[in-house]
Amino acid sequence: MSTITVLALVLFALMTIIGGKTGATAFLSLIFNFGLLFLAIVLISWGFPAMGVSLVIGTVILAFTIFFGEDNELAAKTAYIASLIIMVALILLIFPVEHVIMAQGFSLEDSEDLEGMSLTIGVSFVGVAVTEAILSTLGAIAEASIAIAAGLSEIIEQHPHVATKRLYIDGISIGKQIIGTTFNTLFFGFFGGFLALFIWFSGLHYSFGSVINNKIFVGEVLMVMFSLIGVILAVPITTWVMTLEHRRAAKPKD
Amino acid sequence: MKQQIQQHWGLWLTLIVIVLGLIGVGLTRVNAGLYQQTVAKVTRVQAIDRHATTDEFNNKDVTATQWVTVTVLNNRHQGRSYRIKNTYTKSQAMDQDYRVGNQVFLRIPSQKAAAITIQGLKRDTTLAFVAWLTIALLLLIMRFSGLMAFLSVALNAVLFYAAIQIDLATNGGHVYTLFGILAVIFAVLTLWLVLGFSRKMLVTLGATMAGTGLAVVISLIVFAVTHERGVTYEAMQYVTQVPKPLFLVETILGSLGAVMDESTDIVASLFQLKEERPDIAPNQVFKSGLQIGHSIMGPLINVLFLIFMADTFSMTLLYLRNGNNWGYTFTMNMSLGMVQSLISGIGIVLAIPVASWLASRLMPREVTSA
Repeated sequence: MSTITVLALVLFALMTIIGGKTGATAFLSLIFNFGLLFLAIVLISWGFPAMGVSLVIGTVILAFTIFFGEDNELAAKTAYIASLIIMVALILLIFPVEHVIMAQGFSLEDSEDLEGMSLTIGVSFVGVAVTEAILSTLGAIAEASIAIAAGLSEIIEQHPHVATKRLYIDGISIGKQIIGTTFNTLFFGFFGGFLALFIWFSGLHYSFGSVINNKIFVGEVLMVMFSLIGVILAVPITTWVMTLEHRRAAKPKD
Repeated sequence: MKQQIQQHWGLWLTLIVIVLGLIGVGLTRVNAGLYQQTVAKVTRVQAIDRHATTDEFNNKDVTATQWVTVTVLNNRHQGRSYRIKNTYTKSQAMDQDYRVGNQVFLRIPSQKAAAITIQGLKRDTTLAFVAWLTIALLLLIMRFSGLMAFLSVALNAVLFYAAIQIDLATNGGHVYTLFGILAVIFAVLTLWLVLGFSRKMLVTLGATMAGTGLAVVISLIVFAVTHERGVTYEAMQYVTQVPKPLFLVETILGSLGAVMDESTDIVASLFQLKEERPDIAPNQVFKSGLQIGHSIMGPLINVLFLIFMADTFSMTLLYLRNGNNWGYTFTMNMSLGMVQSLISGIGIVLAIPVASWLASRLMPREVTSA
């Protein structure tokens, strides 16, 4: 058996033992998300427009991540609606930024890997960069909005008649608790994986100026910042969606 | 009343920081003097030629040529204009279409005969703009907490830089020791900033290190048993040192933040639970910890998975369009990201029982609200 298969089996076993049914379904969502990611690349390579592909695949990935991981129905629904809104807002930011900054495709540092490859493949790499950026933010958006929605739905459960204004304050306070650690998740997630590149930059004595204008570095930093913006937006937007849901649920009783 | 005035001042201060930041972003348009490289501004672009191309895999593309007129903004050649020929493809994989108003880096060779070339786009203004937007949103919505989050990331970045310098100075001879120690320092520093120095912080730290450590041990066992079949270290990008240690260290650092995130959540909730119900039994605390972990782990593993995988997108696409089959494309591009995601996943899952157990045993009998 290959290493990947065994590692996957170990992870599946652990998630099932420790997480029970929720754990098993969370593992399933991981498999589905991998399938969707690969599907996205295949669709783009067949010539489908990158924007359309990222919108559709993004919507589905968010659904799998949120509904397979969260048991509470109100929290899951709220988190999903909020995530979709945030995704659309981010696309409106990512699309123009990627078209101006032109950090797509490959850089000179990739030359060795590109040997013997044809680069004239007729697929817009700016579009691919947009897709990369959107998909990389989805996990962070989903996680943040779930955390906030779950916290708020618990408050609503304990105090069914909580005032909307109070809910806003609670939402922001939950946001304050998660923002620090979420930042670190993203920071380490992105930069831990790029240790080799940073060693390359330092080893070849790139100047500060060359690093902050370097295609790969800029592309990577942009992805971190888009994710951060997604997480920051998740706080007010998820709270707002929750107040709407809460108000709607409260109305028939009056 | 006093608090209101403070809030008022806080808002003004935030607004001032935001406005100053925006001015800073604008200044990057005129910072050419700070660069050693020659910076120039594109003043005119003329299209010369456009023709369709077909490569050996029957991919259809368009290759275009343009005259780009630039005016140098700094250094020895300041003020001079040059007309440079630029060729780009429609897919813009490694080249690009320049537009009027772009600022670019030029290479002006000392010999007169050699051609002047455009080395690349100056991207700092757009980058600064996105950074400004991030910080502005953070300050507006989160105020002080946002600042602390930002501070911990900035401090970690400095440490990261220092560790890389040490690694280079020792020629990568002590990668495991160096970055192992770095990982511990990262964890201590970050948790100290988020939680302050307290029992809560120590419990979280213990859970983070135990979870990550166990994941590494398990992965090494799996590596040994399966003889690392399908782990293509040779496909690792940007490698200038021995790939295997680098890969493992990248994986550990990559998952560290997520494991801390999760342990913090679990431990904080359990301490709060104890505060609300002081007579709760340790076993019950342990069970509640697992319960909290259930709903956190799935989304968290997905966060890292999507981050690790999104990086491989461009190269995977190129492989597919260069006539490679899905299996080979996966092995060469995605398998390492997959291994990384799985090891991180194992760490994230294992941190749940460790954090719950540590919290249930090490919690003080009387929790004071700290």
